Amino acid sequence: MFSAPPFWENGPAPGNFYNFPNLQPQVQQPQDFRQHSQSPVTTSTSLVGITYDKGILVAGDLLASYGSLARYRNCPRIVKINENIILGASGDYADFQYVKDFVEQKVISEECLDDGLALKPKSLYCWLTRILYNRRSKMDPLWNNFIVAGIQDGQPFLGTVDKHGTAYADKVICTGYGAHIATPLLRDSLDKNPQLNLAEAKALIEKCLEVLYYRDARSYPKYQLGIIDVEQGVSIEGPLEVPQKWEIAYHSKRF
Amino acid sequence: MSILAYNGGAMVAMKGENCVSIAADRRFGIQAQTVATNFEKIFEMGPQLYVGLPGLATDTQTVMEKLRFRKNLYELKENRSISPKVFSAMVSHMLYEKRFGPFFVEPVIAGLDPKTYEPFICNMDLIGCINQPKDFVVGGTASAQLYGMCEALWEPNLGPDDLFEITSQALINAFDRDAMSGWGATVYIIEKDKVTIRNLKTRMD
Amino acid sequence: MSLAIRPYYPDYSTVPTQHHFNPYADNGGSIVAIAGNDFVIIGADTRLSAGFSIYTREQNKLFSLSGTTVLGCSGCWCDTLTLTRILKSRMQMYQQEHNKVMSTEACAQMLSTMLYYKRFFPYYISNVLVGLDNEGKGCVYSYDPIGHCEKATYRAGGSAGALLQPLLDNQIGQKNMLNVKPESVTKERALSIIKDVFISAAERDIYTGDSISINIITKDGITQETFELRKD
Repeated sequence: MFSAPPFWENGPAPGNFYNFPNLQPQVQQPQDFRQHSQSPVTTSTSLVGITYDKGILVAGDLLASYGSLARYRNCPRIVKINENIILGASGDYADFQYVKDFVEQKVISEECLDDGLALKPKSLYCWLTRILYNRRSKMDPLWNNFIVAGIQDGQPFLGTVDKHGTAYADKVICTGYGAHIATPLLRDSLDKNPQLNLAEAKALIEKCLEVLYYRDARSYPKYQLGIIDVEQGVSIEGPLEVPQKWEIAYHSKRF
Repeated sequence: MSILAYNGGAMVAMKGENCVSIAADRRFGIQAQTVATNFEKIFEMGPQLYVGLPGLATDTQTVMEKLRFRKNLYELKENRSISPKVFSAMVSHMLYEKRFGPFFVEPVIAGLDPKTYEPFICNMDLIGCINQPKDFVVGGTASAQLYGMCEALWEPNLGPDDLFEITSQALINAFDRDAMSGWGATVYIIEKDKVTIRNLKTRMD
Repeated sequence: MSLAIRPYYPDYSTVPTQHHFNPYADNGGSIVAIAGNDFVIIGADTRLSAGFSIYTREQNKLFSLSGTTVLGCSGCWCDTLTLTRILKSRMQMYQQEHNKVMSTEACAQMLSTMLYYKRFFPYYISNVLVGLDNEGKGCVYSYDPIGHCEKATYRAGGSAGALLQPLLDNQIGQKNMLNVKPESVTKERALSIIKDVFISAAERDIYTGDSISINIITKDGITQETFELRKD
């Protein structure tokens, strides 16, 4: 940019503020920066999801942690998107709310078309993949792991998208600590009995949340359970309570 | 780049039926530049005991000298030849003595027990963690390629001739896909009554 | 605030923590392709993983681009999803513009161009493209992440590429064999070698396993096959 030379050496320049010499020099802050890749702040922990014979279960607790502080204890993160989709999220809670807001807006916009067509689970899953991949490509990711559960063409669909845009569909999907602790339990049960019914699947999910509650320090006993069933449709149950048996702790010498 | 890959080199040892093999390439290089094509990395430590020392060439020779010294002392004191198992323990201990300033070699040991003629192979990392499998061991800059080759070619109860063929094919095809090793190979086939040493001509690029 | 006037507390860091976001993930996976005179076979394992976690045991990594062309991808899965989607739309645009299906050679060149277009923020994928050329002969193209392309008759790529390539050199390329006459590989032999090499790779590479999906491309079309590997 053009600027006129100073009136005399080290003197003021026309049209500019004059900085007196021998004063504390102003530290020049770069002005052309953008803040990128924030780390997650208020976070939620694992989600567990499993497919049963006629639908899908997704469960996650209601805690949003601030580092190690159990800060917000009533933060639902399993939401009904429409009559055939459930969306679950773990990771940064603010990023989840941001995504949830514009997904809900998208559903409203499509409703306004009044063409009788609704958003399908695979469409939402694919679309989320693109949103998250574009944000990671800007080096400014949405710090979440999403689980999309739904019914499409009469078949249950369970998929996940992470902060990179890495996406896959499977019969069992868990995020966070659940990937290490709950996935083996769920895969094992599904190997032994590939056609679980709703009651068996519910019992299994409850068991996983119990184990996670004992072993994941960022977990919480209050949880929500999202059910999407070919016949019954969408329902989100909760807040439910993880069964706790602390009596056995006294058998441990170190307790 | 790791200092273990400064000079380059590939090494493999395999068990057979009453025989073992150990083989290495013959390259001595400084990073990408080949300096010599007659470099020995496998050393005789007894009538039926050989040690290969892939890694940093200066340490290859230093460790070889130190091992020969300790092996000689053992044999003078005990008045019997050292067994592969005892020798491995000795190498392992010597390397662990330098736990926080190690020699940059990953030894491969192959031999027959002096009394029972039981085949023995093992390898270790640069601080002396011993691995003693039933099939084969690999070392050097072409170890990934060697794992792929050996895993497919090796089978139990190979006779000395088959063992030679398998070891040579595994080594040569592996180091042809590694820029840091090759330029000829040496293969030792160790049997009860004889040791056969063959120098193989390979592609020189 | 400059660093000089920031207070020093020995137990607490007073500088802003630098959190670096790595846009790439290594999701593993291996690809093996073998071409013959009138066929080409490509196999990919179906394990999708990251670090020590297995995301899923049944992820297809082979993408059919046309009736005679298949692409195998391994590496960063989010890049794979993006690249293959763009590829498919480019294939469709070509078809609608020229009223013919893109040839394997054209596909191979397009993939190279698309990869190089992202030269300074590459797709972190090991690509192996196979297909039949205009004469119906099998061909294999392999790529580096920024679009270097090489035509071959056999190739191993991905996390177990280094383990498998020398084996293919030996068994298919007949390298270091004496007194053999060069002959092209049969379909049955290619298929059994692909299965064998994947069994070997699954022994030593933790990112390869679960099962393999195989596509066999001949003038009659693409047939698919699966083969189980160890799952640990």
